[in-house]
Amino acid sequence: MSTQERNFRILRGGGPSGTPVEFKNYSLELNEHATVLDALEWIRVEQAPDLMYRHSCHHGSCGTCGMTVNGKPKLACLTKVEDLAAGDIKLEPLVGMEPLGDLAVSPVSLMSAYPADSGYIRESEVNKDAARPEAVERFERFENCIECGLCMAACPVEDEFQGPAVLAALNRELAKTPERRAEILHAAGRPDGVYRCERALECSRVCPTAVYPAKHIMELRKELEKESGAE
Amino acid sequence: MKKYHVVVIGGGGTGAAIAYDLVKRGFNATVLDRGELTSGTTGRHHGQLHCGARYAVGDRAIARECMEETNTLRKIASESLESNYGLFVALNDEDEAFAPTFIDACLESGIPAEKVPRKQALLMEPKLSDKIGTVVQVPDGTIDAWRLPLQFFAGAQQGGAVIRPFCPVTGIEIEGGRAVAVRIRDLVQKKDERIEADLIVNATGAWAPQITKLAGIDIPITPAPGTMLAVRKRLCNMVISHLHPSGDGDIIVPQRGLSIIGTTQYKTDDPDDIKVPREDVDFLYRCADEMVPEFSKQPFHAAWIAARPLAGKSESIEDGRGLSRDFVCVNHGEHDDVHGLMSVIGGKATVLRAMAEKTVDAVCHELGVQEPCTTTETPLPSHRQYYRKGAK
Ligand code: SF4
Ligand code: FES
Repeated sequence: MSTQERNFRILRGGGPSGTPVEFKNYSLELNEHATVLDALEWIRVEQAPDLMYRHSCHHGSCGTCGMTVNGKPKLACLTKVEDLAAGDIKLEPLVGMEPLGDLAVSPVSLMSAYPADSGYIRESEVNKDAARPEAVERFERFENCIECGLCMAACPVEDEFQGPAVLAALNRELAKTPERRAEILHAAGRPDGVYRCERALECSRVCPTAVYPAKHIMELRKELEKESGAE
Repeated sequence: MKKYHVVVIGGGGTGAAIAYDLVKRGFNATVLDRGELTSGTTGRHHGQLHCGARYAVGDRAIARECMEETNTLRKIASESLESNYGLFVALNDEDEAFAPTFIDACLESGIPAEKVPRKQALLMEPKLSDKIGTVVQVPDGTIDAWRLPLQFFAGAQQGGAVIRPFCPVTGIEIEGGRAVAVRIRDLVQKKDERIEADLIVNATGAWAPQITKLAGIDIPITPAPGTMLAVRKRLCNMVISHLHPSGDGDIIVPQRGLSIIGTTQYKTDDPDDIKVPREDVDFLYRCADEMVPEFSKQPFHAAWIAARPLAGKSESIEDGRGLSRDFVCVNHGEHDDVHGLMSVIGGKATVLRAMAEKTVDAVCHELGVQEPCTTTETPLPSHRQYYRKGAK
């Protein structure tokens, strides 16, 4: 197995403690499979025991490990170090979330922006016509969105905007609960809603779980147009 | 009753469920974790909701408990579960010989295991290998290993628990043979703090010895890391398990758009010093393909490792497989003459609520409180509730 020495420039400090922020360097040997999250784990164990960053699942399911890697929003656990350009690797907290210190952020504003009573389960699209156990009414699965906030960080819209993740969730709710159509479309059509979207498509590019938020925003726009046409 | 304050060290699934049970029974509770919540072992679980079938032959009681807890979680936390059942598939003659024992053990444990005709199984899961023999259907499912604990944390927080990630414990103060306070470093506020406690529960799993060491106690725990591998396609809806007594690489758990194969197991001394052994990845691909031949043809998604805690010292454990993964609650007042400190070790994600019930029963006993557990009754708040503005 080949290993390579890589240098990480990590933004330390910040957050409620008011500690001044500064980049610090950490170098370590990594093999070709190592992810940015693996590197952070080893840096914490060997060099910086008080380094703050968020992580849980290590496989792109929890959505906690979003951060800015060389200027781009990424999940640390799915970003292979080898795939990053040669030279220093710059790590900063994710944009759009409240910093807690070092690379850790609080997802409170994103989590609060999701439609309040939206469910997290949907029908599985896999093997739709398959036979099922008697007790299973429909095969189900979790929603694609892992609430990582990468799309919110990547979105170039500067005005007050609910943002791609939230609007995508609204469209999912519309699909699952058509009886709430009026209320959902009202939320989507607000001044901070779908019409703020500039179709930059950055959200769909960065989303690690193929939610394609931009597509959901377009669908909501179409639904809103139908409504105004019907009036 | 006096409002006792219990400090729970460890913000994994066990700590979450203990905190929820504590506040439901009228305690004040504080949860501390050195990093983000569920950043140790809990979140890295492959996500099987375990109806207990895997354990039935070895231990009916554990299997029964898994079944009961599966039903309870479906009632109180359905939004963190994909409740699609599972199939155990026989792959060879040995498996075939084992099948009747397996089914009997399940039924005796209250698990509605049911043989399904091969043809029917392939209609349910068309990606299954056509080489499968006997197929048994059981009520397994998939857990979201981050959102399920968050639901418990949300419930705990609603009940007044204070939950503090990024607060490593740096000391335990002992006075007259009793643990009376913990000292922490709050990494968010960058300050040291002392928190008084009527009782301390150490729920740090594989890290438990590091905490008890602060109280001068050595507890025998061996971290047993295991590798998991995910590919980027959901190949099945049901959990697919190899119908054999138990071993490495014998379960495929579908989750969202992924398929996950788990797991391997070895042992180590330091739960922080773990790296995925590359040979595990090849091995897991091979195992997965035996059950679902298309598995290894899917794009690689992630390979990761989690350190599960086994009770017992490393020297006395072969590979850990033989050891019970059952849950133990150690009262250090009885074992080590340090009162007011308990360690909870082991157990399985599916039974987190039941582990918490037993732990809080022990806490009540220790503090002379008589309050029944009520955590099976009401649905938990949504996982997002934990992070909603004003929720704290
Ligand atoms: S839509 Fe995609 S990028 Fe945005 S929060 Fe959800 S998972 Fe993350
Ligand atoms: S650690 Fe869960 S998404 Fe990266």
